[in-house]
Amino acid sequence: MARPAPAPLYTLRGAGSPLNALHFGCCEGDPPLLFSGSGQGSVHVWNLTTRRAERVLKGHSGASVTWLNMLYSRDALISQGRDMRVCLWDLAEGRSDVTDALWTGSVGFCRCSLLETGPGRWLLAHAGEAMEEVKIIELPSKSPVCSLIPQAKLGMVMCIKLWQPDSSPGPLLLAGYEDGSLALWDVSQRSVLSRAAAHPEPVMCLDFDPAGQRGISGSSEKRLASWKLDGQHRLQLQEPVALVNPGISQLCIRGDRKIVASAGWDHRVRVFGWKKLRPLAVLQHHTDMVLSLAFSDHQDPRNRMLAAGSKDQRISLWSIYNQGSSDTG
Amino acid sequence: MMQSLTPDVEVRLSVGQCVRTLTTSKEKEEVTKTLHTLTSYLDDGPQSTITSAQRAEFSRAHYTRTLQFLISNINADWLQLLTVAQCTELWDGLFLRGPPDQTLLALMDGISSMSSPSAGLDRLVSILERFLQSGRLTVLLWTRCQGTGLSDSPQLRETLLSRLVALPDLTANQLHHHNKTLFLPQQYYPLLARDMLTVLERTCQALRDRKDCSLTFVAQALGKACVQGHSALVFGVLAPHLSSCTLSDMVWQRVCWKLLENVPERWLESVLTGMVQAVNRPDALSRIMGNLVLKNKKAQFVITHKLLLLQYKYETRVLSILLGYLAQDRERRPLLIQVLRSLCQAWANPSAVRHTPLEQQLYVSRALLLCVGLLSDAELQELRSELLQCMLGGMQSHLDSSVVRVRRMGMVVGECLSSRMDVNGAKLKFEYEHDEETEELLSLMTPLSEEETELLDDRLDLPQDVKGKTVPSQAVPSQAASVAQKSGADPDSELDSDDELTPYDMSADQEMSQAAPPRYLRDCLEAFLSSEDPVRVDLSLRAIEGLVRKNTSTAREVSVELSKVLLHMEDRYNTVGFLSLRQAAMVALTVTDSVPVTEYLTTEFYSMNYSIRQRLDILEVLIMSAQELSQPITDKEGPSKAIQRVTMNTPLYPGDDPIHWRQVVERRIQSKTKRLSKGVTHPPAKPTPNRYAPVAGHFFFPLLRNYDRPQVTFDLLGGDHLVLGRLIHTLGLLMHLAVNAPVATQMGRALLDFVWAVRYHVDQMVRRGVLFAVCSVFLSMPSQSLLVELSDQLFETRAWLAGMTRRMWLKRAQSRCTCSCSVCVNLRTRTHTHT
Repeated sequence: MARPAPAPLYTLRGAGSPLNALHFGCCEGDPPLLFSGSGQGSVHVWNLTTRRAERVLKGHSGASVTWLNMLYSRDALISQGRDMRVCLWDLAEGRSDVTDALWTGSVGFCRCSLLETGPGRWLLAHAGEAMEEVKIIELPSKSPVCSLIPQAKLGMVMCIKLWQPDSSPGPLLLAGYEDGSLALWDVSQRSVLSRAAAHPEPVMCLDFDPAGQRGISGSSEKRLASWKLDGQHRLQLQEPVALVNPGISQLCIRGDRKIVASAGWDHRVRVFGWKKLRPLAVLQHHTDMVLSLAFSDHQDPRNRMLAAGSKDQRISLWSIYNQGSSDTG
Repeated sequence: MMQSLTPDVEVRLSVGQCVRTLTTSKEKEEVTKTLHTLTSYLDDGPQSTITSAQRAEFSRAHYTRTLQFLISNINADWLQLLTVAQCTELWDGLFLRGPPDQTLLALMDGISSMSSPSAGLDRLVSILERFLQSGRLTVLLWTRCQGTGLSDSPQLRETLLSRLVALPDLTANQLHHHNKTLFLPQQYYPLLARDMLTVLERTCQALRDRKDCSLTFVAQALGKACVQGHSALVFGVLAPHLSSCTLSDMVWQRVCWKLLENVPERWLESVLTGMVQAVNRPDALSRIMGNLVLKNKKAQFVITHKLLLLQYKYETRVLSILLGYLAQDRERRPLLIQVLRSLCQAWANPSAVRHTPLEQQLYVSRALLLCVGLLSDAELQELRSELLQCMLGGMQSHLDSSVVRVRRMGMVVGECLSSRMDVNGAKLKFEYEHDEETEELLSLMTPLSEEETELLDDRLDLPQDVKGKTVPSQAVPSQAASVAQKSGADPDSELDSDDELTPYDMSADQEMSQAAPPRYLRDCLEAFLSSEDPVRVDLSLRAIEGLVRKNTSTAREVSVELSKVLLHMEDRYNTVGFLSLRQAAMVALTVTDSVPVTEYLTTEFYSMNYSIRQRLDILEVLIMSAQELSQPITDKEGPSKAIQRVTMNTPLYPGDDPIHWRQVVERRIQSKTKRLSKGVTHPPAKPTPNRYAPVAGHFFFPLLRNYDRPQVTFDLLGGDHLVLGRLIHTLGLLMHLAVNAPVATQMGRALLDFVWAVRYHVDQMVRRGVLFAVCSVFLSMPSQSLLVELSDQLFETRAWLAGMTRRMWLKRAQSRCTCSCSVCVNLRTRTHTHT
């Protein structure tokens, strides 16, 4: 008989609104931090040692924060909000100021994607003013690199993922569109390399594993699509994974490429083995849709937790598959 | 002058002379010479002067007397004069070379007449041993076959036969612990069988040489050995040889048939049963027996009736051999059909279903299925109407039974028959749990191929195989999660790194319903009464138990109405776990508001237009509520338990319960463990106040009203045994739970009164219930009031119990009844000593 279903390590309450974005900041320094973006435009900085919110950052004028990341260090936060802005924060030495802001013009829900191209240089992909447009700019200079608009009518861009492959000189971008199709862009060529109709419904989220050249995407249906890139950069759909309940808001592959987690509209987080997409666990705790997920980047693998933010205004933290198969949640 | 004497006179004079010499002489030379003279009458040495006529005369008239003389003088002085070699040569030789039948008689007489430990006895025993070892029995049987010297009297023949067959008994009686291993039945009867085989072989040879032989004596010996219970040993040797010898040789076959024909009728049955059990294939039986069933009435009765319908101890293998034998020959086919008819009758007979032991019914079912499997299509066509009638009648009487195994047997046989008859392609199909028994029955329908019959002995292992196959099928209830698991490219096909990540239990991952669960009891009630929305009804059903337990005051307001709705509720939307949810809700209501709800339920139990299922539901709800109420009152437990129930939604039906495997294993071990005394390990529970005691009467007494008032749809004392049985069980349980309650005495008296009326009910389930109820009365009533209040009933009950126990022991069949009966008697005695 299987082990009993795991329970969360602890939960963080007090965000006061649905949690749309999560990001761990554990890689350097103590204590480990967790940033969370709420539906009311505030960013909470959680101290995971005291399990309290250390600071609350308000910079998106009450519009929902949809994406969070870090630039140089965890003192340089970057956040995306529904107020059509991307903000850069300076959190060093107790400051909490917005140092720079960028107008995206996107009214959609598409989360940005950040790629480090060199020391102190990044590429940021974000949805543009036109519905199906993806714009790529360079940071910190904010100079636009290109704008990617598909020829075909694919509808609004829903989710993107930017990465630098070993094989080609320029970065590649995966984008999921409203009509359920996925497109692979060569950023330097500004051209679509390949397209696949992964879902009949809009693609809600995707994640890609550059090392394995495989990815997974979710939609509002009762299945996850999994696909891979062959040597010629062609998207090939693979066997889908059936779900019990429909709707996925975020997918997250852990850094060690062992497991992938899905944030379900059915209040549950599902964990699959990444190799074969075998269902491993169903994390049941929240009482409303799970909106966001993040895996910790802590140096010690045993402290690499999974955080799940939900519409029920809570963040649950789970310790799952951290040290071989023997650990329990 | 001497020459003119006739041989008989001459021999008589000579033998007389010898005897006189031996009696008087003390001289070694003379004794040796005399013994030589006597020996020379037995076999013709090269320089023998004895004519064959003289030898014949000696064997006929003087041999036995000579031996008797020798035995009676076994301790004489002259015997000591001889050397050991001379003794063996002359003295023993006289025994071993003469006519073996006379020797055997003389030896057996000698052995039984001698006092137990003595040198003479030892000597005779060793001679008998050598007699057997040197194959003299073969000679004995063979001389009888040749028909020479058949002038002997029937008495002599009878004596010889009984000595021959009872040799192990006679020697054991005389020798006690000093018996020789050769005389033990395990050694002796196979020896006898081997001698018989040699004789049969010689007979075959003689027949080929066109000489006449009589097998009467061998057949009698065989019959007698079998009737004395040694058929297994004898046929253990005979059957394999006969079956291999008859394979190609017609003469052997004829000899076998003749042998069996010559077995006297009174011994035929044991010979046949022995043989049927010893052969391993139907065609072997057919070769050995020939058409004996057609020629011999007794054999026919035994084969077609007694072994199939009256006895039921034989293995399935034997059955298939028997029926296969009947099916093998065209002339015997009519017998097969006759057998089928009588099997049908026996199977379908309602009285047999009710009164014969389960094992016999199983046996008859097996035989019936085997028989049907052997029929050809043409025969089936001919018998169709009869089979159909049998099937329909039999199914009805089986399905009426309250014993699960009987019902299941009926279903399996019905399915098999219908599939064999193929009524317009329509087949019966029942839902029942598969176990070893049903699998075995089902497997009987597929006729065995040649290779399989070759290995008929291996079929004994079949149940194990079947068990191995069935276990995985019942392993895990299918869950939504496991579907998801399967659809991922099959995970077990190759090694991969996911395997090191052990999955957690994902059984809780169920479909989410869109709607929110109702928050008020009245919403639930409304949903049940008027909603056509499956989701709403489903949610209400899941929520209601928790709501009832949380809001007791509201629950009291609507308790009866809600109970009514729940009792009449049907599973319209195929809700998962419907029965357990409904039951849990009703139990919660009964617990919360005991008096009005029990009043309602107990009244409804006896009213019109309820199905059996609903009445049983009422009883179950009453039992479970009583059980819950009877838990000791503790301060903490109440609310936390209720809340746990709300959140967990524990399934109450055992089938729906995913019990941890450890618990399952533990329970299995417990059930297989026999405890000789349980009393010491369980000290009697300490009386603590509980919520049941004050309301026990409300649960109990209304159920005793009206049981004898039959309704159109419900006749408790008539056809509805099942409900009656469960009612009595329920009453027993309610009584048991009321231990230490003040009302227990009245309850006990009422219960005894009630069960008294049905104590001789035809249905064993009802009788078992009565026993259970009586047990619980004895256990739960305070012992001081037991004697005071129930003194007269007590004696009657005791007499009834004693009678019941005795009858059960005689019948042996319904062992569970017997068990509980003796338990009951023990209890009685205990309470007696108590008071």
